Amino acid sequence: MPSLLGNVFQSWAKYSKGNEQGGFHDYEHMYSMSIDLDKCTGCNACSTACYAENNLAWVGEEKFGARQAMNWMRVERYFDEPDVGEGSSDSLERGASFLPMMCQHCNGAPCEPVCPVAATYHTVDGLNAQIYNRCIGSRYCANNCPIRVRNFNFYDNAPTAWPAPMDQGLNPDVTVRSLGVMEKCTFCVQRIRAGNDLAKREGRKLQDGDIVTACQQTCPTSAIVFGDLLDEASEISKAWKRQQVELGKYKQDKENPEMRGYRVYEELNIDTKVLYLERVREV
Amino acid sequence: MSDTKHLTIEQTKDIDENIAWAKINTDVLRSMQNPRKGYWVALAFSMCLFGVMIFAEVWQYNYGMGDALLNTSHMWDLYISTFVFWIGMSHSGTLLSAILHLVHADWRKPIYRFAEAMTTFSLMTAGLFPVIHLGRVWNFYWVMPYMSDRGIWPNFRSPLIWDAFAITAYLTSSVLFLYIGMIPDLAICRDNTTGWRKTLYTFLSLGWRGDDAQWRHFRFTYLMIACLLIPLAVSVHSIVAMDFAMAIMPGWHVTTFPPYFVAGALYSGCAAIMTLFVLLRYFFRFEEYMTMPIMDKVCKLTFVIAMVWTYLNLIEFASVWYGHDIPSKEVLMAKAFGPYSIFFWGMMVFGSVLPFTLLIRAVRHNMFAIFFVSIFLNVGMFLERWMIVTPTLSLGYHPQAFNVMWPGWVEWAMVGGSFGWFGMLFLMFVKIFPCVSMYEVKEMVYHRKRTTYADVDEMMELHSGVPGPEPKPQQTGGS
Amino acid sequence: MSKTKIDRRNFLKVLGLGTAGAAMAGCDMPSYVTSEEGAEKIYSYLAPEEYMIPGIGVWYASTCQQCPASCGVHGRVREGRVLKLEGNPDTTVNAGKICQMGQASIQAHFHPERLQNPTINGKDATWDEALALVKEKTGNAAWVTGTVSGHQRVLMDAHRQASGNGRHYAIEAVNARAWEDASATLLGDSNPNLHIDKARAVLTIGADFLGTWGNPVKSMRDYGNFRNAPRGVLMAIEPAMSMTGANADTWVAARPGSEAAVVLGIGHVLITKHGVSAAGMPSAAAAFAAMTPARVLELSGVSTAQLTKIADTLMSNSPSLILANASHAAAKAAQVLNLMLGNVGQTLTPSTALAANGLAPLTGSSKDLVEFAMDANAGKIGAAFITGTNPSFLAPKGLDMAAALSKIGFKVAIADFADETTKSCDVVLPMSSPLEAWGTHVPVNGGASGDIHIQQPLMENVYANTRGFGDILLSVGQGAGVEGLGAFEDYYGYLRTAVSALIGSDMEGDWNKALQAGKVTAATIPMAFKAGEDVALGFSEPAAAGTLSLVTSARQGLYDGRHANLPWMQEAPDQISKAVWDSWAEMHPATAAKLGVKDGDYVSINTANGAISTRVFTYKGMHPDAVNVPMGRGHTDYGTYATNGVNPLTIMDASPGDRQTTELLSSNLAVQVSPTGENRHLVRLMDVDSQHGRKLVATITADQFDRNQGGA
Repeated sequence: MPSLLGNVFQSWAKYSKGNEQGGFHDYEHMYSMSIDLDKCTGCNACSTACYAENNLAWVGEEKFGARQAMNWMRVERYFDEPDVGEGSSDSLERGASFLPMMCQHCNGAPCEPVCPVAATYHTVDGLNAQIYNRCIGSRYCANNCPIRVRNFNFYDNAPTAWPAPMDQGLNPDVTVRSLGVMEKCTFCVQRIRAGNDLAKREGRKLQDGDIVTACQQTCPTSAIVFGDLLDEASEISKAWKRQQVELGKYKQDKENPEMRGYRVYEELNIDTKVLYLERVREV
Repeated sequence: MSDTKHLTIEQTKDIDENIAWAKINTDVLRSMQNPRKGYWVALAFSMCLFGVMIFAEVWQYNYGMGDALLNTSHMWDLYISTFVFWIGMSHSGTLLSAILHLVHADWRKPIYRFAEAMTTFSLMTAGLFPVIHLGRVWNFYWVMPYMSDRGIWPNFRSPLIWDAFAITAYLTSSVLFLYIGMIPDLAICRDNTTGWRKTLYTFLSLGWRGDDAQWRHFRFTYLMIACLLIPLAVSVHSIVAMDFAMAIMPGWHVTTFPPYFVAGALYSGCAAIMTLFVLLRYFFRFEEYMTMPIMDKVCKLTFVIAMVWTYLNLIEFASVWYGHDIPSKEVLMAKAFGPYSIFFWGMMVFGSVLPFTLLIRAVRHNMFAIFFVSIFLNVGMFLERWMIVTPTLSLGYHPQAFNVMWPGWVEWAMVGGSFGWFGMLFLMFVKIFPCVSMYEVKEMVYHRKRTTYADVDEMMELHSGVPGPEPKPQQTGGS
Repeated sequence: MSKTKIDRRNFLKVLGLGTAGAAMAGCDMPSYVTSEEGAEKIYSYLAPEEYMIPGIGVWYASTCQQCPASCGVHGRVREGRVLKLEGNPDTTVNAGKICQMGQASIQAHFHPERLQNPTINGKDATWDEALALVKEKTGNAAWVTGTVSGHQRVLMDAHRQASGNGRHYAIEAVNARAWEDASATLLGDSNPNLHIDKARAVLTIGADFLGTWGNPVKSMRDYGNFRNAPRGVLMAIEPAMSMTGANADTWVAARPGSEAAVVLGIGHVLITKHGVSAAGMPSAAAAFAAMTPARVLELSGVSTAQLTKIADTLMSNSPSLILANASHAAAKAAQVLNLMLGNVGQTLTPSTALAANGLAPLTGSSKDLVEFAMDANAGKIGAAFITGTNPSFLAPKGLDMAAALSKIGFKVAIADFADETTKSCDVVLPMSSPLEAWGTHVPVNGGASGDIHIQQPLMENVYANTRGFGDILLSVGQGAGVEGLGAFEDYYGYLRTAVSALIGSDMEGDWNKALQAGKVTAATIPMAFKAGEDVALGFSEPAAAGTLSLVTSARQGLYDGRHANLPWMQEAPDQISKAVWDSWAEMHPATAAKLGVKDGDYVSINTANGAISTRVFTYKGMHPDAVNVPMGRGHTDYGTYATNGVNPLTIMDASPGDRQTTELLSSNLAVQVSPTGENRHLVRLMDVDSQHGRKLVATITADQFDRNQGGA
C-alpha cells in the first residue's frame, strides 16, 4: 500500500514537473513533423503515398460523397483572397492555400481521454497510438478531434478496395483494418519501429534520417520534415527552435513574431506536434 | 367536463376518499385480466416494430455502420440522441416515486407505479443504444471492468465508461425500487389469483404477510432506496450530459449541460407520464384513481419544469452570445438558420411555447388535448436531443469537415424499433403487474379520509366489509 | 543459340549506338550474353541469398513509366512482390522523389483488369500465332506511340527501317511542343535545361511545370529550392488556374487564346518602361512596340497595372525565367524575352545530347495526332503498331479517328490495358507492366549529363502470359528481319549487351553497379545555343469579350486520361476543385450568374464538334470568359473504374490551330454553354472553400520571410 501511494505521488510529481519544463522530458523520443506551406504545391503525392504505404482502402464515388473515405492524409485547398496586401476580391490573385492535414499527434490529444476502452493513448515516443484490436468503435475519439482526421471503417472496404491481385500489393508491415474500427495517421509507426530496430541492431542511437515517413519521402518539394524533437541534432528540432514554437503552450511567445512557424487549433490547448510554416506571398 | 362552475366532488379532489379498499383491489386486478383484442393488436404491433429493429441491427452487424449514413463528420447521430431521449424519459419515475415521495406529495400515489415501470423500461431501451452504436458490437463487454488476462481495464477517464457505470447502477436501483415497491401489491395479487399467476406472485411477493414489523422494514427500505435513487437519477443524466460537455466541440462544451439535461429529462419524463396517464385511464377505466385533479397537478408540474428547461436553454444561448467563442456562435446560428433550422424551431415551439397551453384550465382538464400536447412535448424533446448532437457535428471547428447529413433507414428503423421494444415491455407489464399501486392508493384514501372526518369509526362505517375498530392500513381481500 | 556473324556497324546501330557511338564502344566486339546467362535465376527459399530476409524488404532500382518524364524509382520488394515505389535518390532528375502517379504504379501493376493474353480479332490466341500474324501483315507499318526514348525507340526505328520506312507518330495530348519549337527556333535547342532553382522570378504562361508540363517532379524539386531564402517570385498567366498557378505570388487571368498578346505586352513594358534592349531583333521589337497595354487589356482582360507589375518583377528579380506553352506564338515571344532579359545562359542552359543519339527522346505532340488521322483517312497507312497512346480517346471528333483507324488495314496494339483504341485493333499483344519488364529511358528535360535510366523487373510477372514491351519489340524486330536481333533470346540479353556497349564495359560488376544506381551515364556531345535571330512575333485574336471559350487542362493524377482506370487516381482529389471520380466544368461565379447556373447544375457545352454535359464548379481562379473542363474522364472502354465523366477532348476544335503547324489549339473559341436543368452535388473532398476565419493556412509577406530567412 505505501508503495502504491508512493507510486501515485511520484508519477504526479514527474508529470507536473515535466509539464512545466515543456513536457515529457523523461521520454526517449518525441516524434513530430513540420510542413512548409510555402513549398507545398498541393500535388497530393503525400496522400497517395500514404494510401500505398498504409493499406488505405479507396471507397468509390458514392461512399466518398457520403464522407466515408479513408484518407489519413488529405490536402485541403482554401481560397481566401486576398490574404496579404491588397487585391481584387473578384479573382484569386494570390493563388490557393494548400493544407496537408493528418493526425497531429497532439500531446494534449482530446481523442485520448474519451475512448471507453483505452484503444487510443499516447505512447512514450509521443505518438498518438490507435490500437485496432482494442477499438470497439464507439467513435467518441473522432467526435472529439477538432480537425476530424480520424477515419472510421464504416464498411468492410477490403473486398472492393483490393480485388485480386491488387491485394498482393498490400504492405505486410501494416494491419488491414476490419469493419468497425477507427484508424488514422500513425506517423508511419511501422517505419518508426523499423528505424529503431535498425539502430538497435547496429548498436547505435537513432539518427536523424533513420526514419522517413511515406509522405515525407515522396514529397517532391521536400516540404515535409519529420524527426525526433528530443534529438537536438535533428532537422526537426532545429526547425521548431528556429521558429520559436514550443510544446506545452497554447499561445506562443515569440521573440520574433514574424517567424512563420505556427500550429493549428493551438487555442484549444491540444498541443499539436505538427509545425506549419506560413505560406508566403510577394505583394 | 369543461363546465368549471359545477364541478363534482370528483373533479375537485385528487381522489374520492370514500372509495372502498376492496374496490381499489378489484379495479386494479381487473386491469390485469385477459386482455381484449385491441391489446393483442398493440402488442403485435410493438413486436413487429421491435422486429424491424432486430433486422436493422443484423444488417448493421454484418455490413457496418455505413448504411446508417454516419460519416467522418457525423460520427454520432440518431442513436445517441435516442439514447439520451430514453434516459431522459426514465427520470419520470424517479421524479414521481422518489422526489415527490420525499416531499409528501401523495397525489403521486395512483400514478407512480406505471411511471416507475416506465423508468425501468426506458432505461432498458436506452441501454440498447450504447451497444447498437458500437462499430464492433460483439466486444461491448470490454467497457466492463473485469479481470482480463491481459490486465487491461477500461479507460476510467472516458465519459462513456461513467455512462456504463451510471446506467447500470441506475437501472439496477430502479428495478430494485420498482420490485420492492411492488411487494405488497404482489401479495394482493397472490391472494386473488390462480394458476400460473399465483405461482409467479407467490414467488415474487417473498412471503409478504403485511404485519407490522414487515411494514416498518418496508417503509424504511422504500425510503432509503428513494433517497439513493434521487442522486443517482441526477447523476445519470448529468453523466450522459458529460458525454457532450467533456468533449471540446463547439455547442457541446457547455457547463450548463448537466443541469440542462436533467431538466430536459424531467420534462420529457413528465410529458411521457401525461401520455401514459391518459392511455391507462382510458383503457383500464381508472378514472377514479387517475383523476382530473391529479392530471391537473401533473400538468402544472410539467409546466414548471418546462420553464426551468426553457430558462436553461436560453441561458445557453445567452452565454454563446456574450462569449467570444466564434465556432459556438456559428453552431448556434446554424441551428437557428441553417439546414436543420426547421427542427430547431420545432424544438423551441414544442418545448417552450406549447407548455403554455397547460396554463389553460380547459386544456388541463381535457384528456384528449393533454394526450396530443404531451406527445408533441416529447417530440420537442426528441428534437432537442437531435439538435444537440447533429448541428455541432455538422459544423465543428474544421471547415473541410462541414457536412450536412440526414439519417437513413437503418437509423430510423432502430429508433422506431426502440419504441416497439419499450411498448412491448410496457404492454407486458400492465397485464402482469398492477400498474396502479393498490396499497399506496389505500394509504392515500385513508389519509385523506382522516383529514376529512374526525371520527374514525364513522370513517370506517363508510367502508363496507371492514370489521374491527382499528383497521390496519392494508387490507387484503374484502367482500 | 548459334552466334551468327553480323555486320559490326549494323550491330552497334541496333544496339542504339549509331555511327557516332561506334568509336565509344571499346576496342573490340562486345561479347553478347547467351540465353543461359541471361535467364533469370530462381532462388529457392531453402537456401536464399544472404540479402533475402523474410520480413525485410529489398530495394531495387527501376524507372517509372506513368508519364513521359521517366523518373527513377526504388521499388521495395518483399517475398517476391513489389509493394511500394519511392524515388531513386541517385538520379539527378528526381533525386529520391516521385509524384502521386508514380505511387499509383503499384495499383496499375496489380490491377485485375490488365490484359492477360494475346488476342486476334478479339479471340484469345497464342503468342506464336499473334506474332506470326504481325510478321505477316506489318510490312511498311507506321508506329503510333507516345513519347519514347531509350532502346525501345532504337528497336522501333530499326523495325521501321527494316520494313518499309513507315512513319513514327508520337502522340501526346499533354505536350510541350509549343515550347520545344520556340526553343529550337530561337535557341537551337528544343529542350534546354531549366534552372528554376537559380531563378529569382519565374513567369509561366500556360506551362504547368509543377503539375504536368515537362518533368514535374524535377521542377517541384527545383521549386522547393526556389522558395528558399532569398525567395523567388512565381507569376502565372492563364485562363484557368492550374496547380502551378495556384502556387503563384501573382496569378493573372487572361482570356483564352490571348496569351501571346499578353507576352507581347510584357515585352512592350519592358522595352518602353525599363529600356530593355531588343537589339538585333527588329521584327520582334516591332511586334512588342505594337502591343500597347491598352491593346492587351482589350484582347486579354489583363490590366495595365498587372502587366506593369509582371514586367517590374522580372526586372527587379534577375535572373528570371519565362516559360510558355499556351501557344506557339506565346512560346516564341517568351523565348525572345528570355533572350532580351539575359536569362539565356543563366536559367536556361543548353541541354546535353547523347552521343548515342538513337536513344534520345522523341517527344509527343498533338501535331502527330492530327497528321496520323489525316494520313490514315487518306489511306496512306497500310498497317500500324499502336502503343502507349490512346488516339481514339484523345482525338477530337472532327478528326474522324474512328474512320481513320478503320482505314488502316492491319493494326497491332501493344498495351497493358484494354482501351478505346485497342478495341479497334486486329491484334492485341498484352504488355507486362513496367514493374515487371526491362527497359531504358532517357528523361526529357532531365537536366543531367547523359543519364539513361534503367528499368528492371521488380518481380516476376503477375500475369504469366504477358511479355515486356522490350521483349515484344525484340520479337517483332526479329520477325521483320532486323539485322543482329536474332542473337538475343530476350530483351534482357539485348539490353545487357547494349548497355555494356554504352558504358564500354561488359563486366558483371559494372552491370550490377548500373542496376543498383538505376542508371548509366553515357557519353554526351556538348551543345551550345545558337546566336539569337530575329523572328516575326504574332498573336492570335481570341474570341470577343463576353464570348465563352472552352479550355481543357490536364491535371496531375489522371494526366491525359491514362490513369482513369486506377481507383487511387480517381479518388485523389483534383488539386484545384478537390473533386473526385467525376467531371466538372469550372467557371467564374460571374459567368455562372450570367448563365443562371450555380454549383452542381449541369450545363451543356456545345461546339462545332459536338456537345458534352457536365456539372458546374465555380471559383474565382478563372477568366470570366473561360470554361474549363479538365481532361481525363469520359472513357467509354477503359475498365470498371473509368466509367464516370465526360471527355472534353472530343469536342475540341479539330481544325489545325495556330496556322503554323497542325497543332491543335489548347482552347476552343466561342462555345455555347447552356443549363440543362439537372442538378447533382459534385462529390468533393470539401464542400467549403474558405477557412472561415480559422488560422489554418496563414500567409506572410515575402519581405518578412526574407528578413527572417524562414525555412525549415
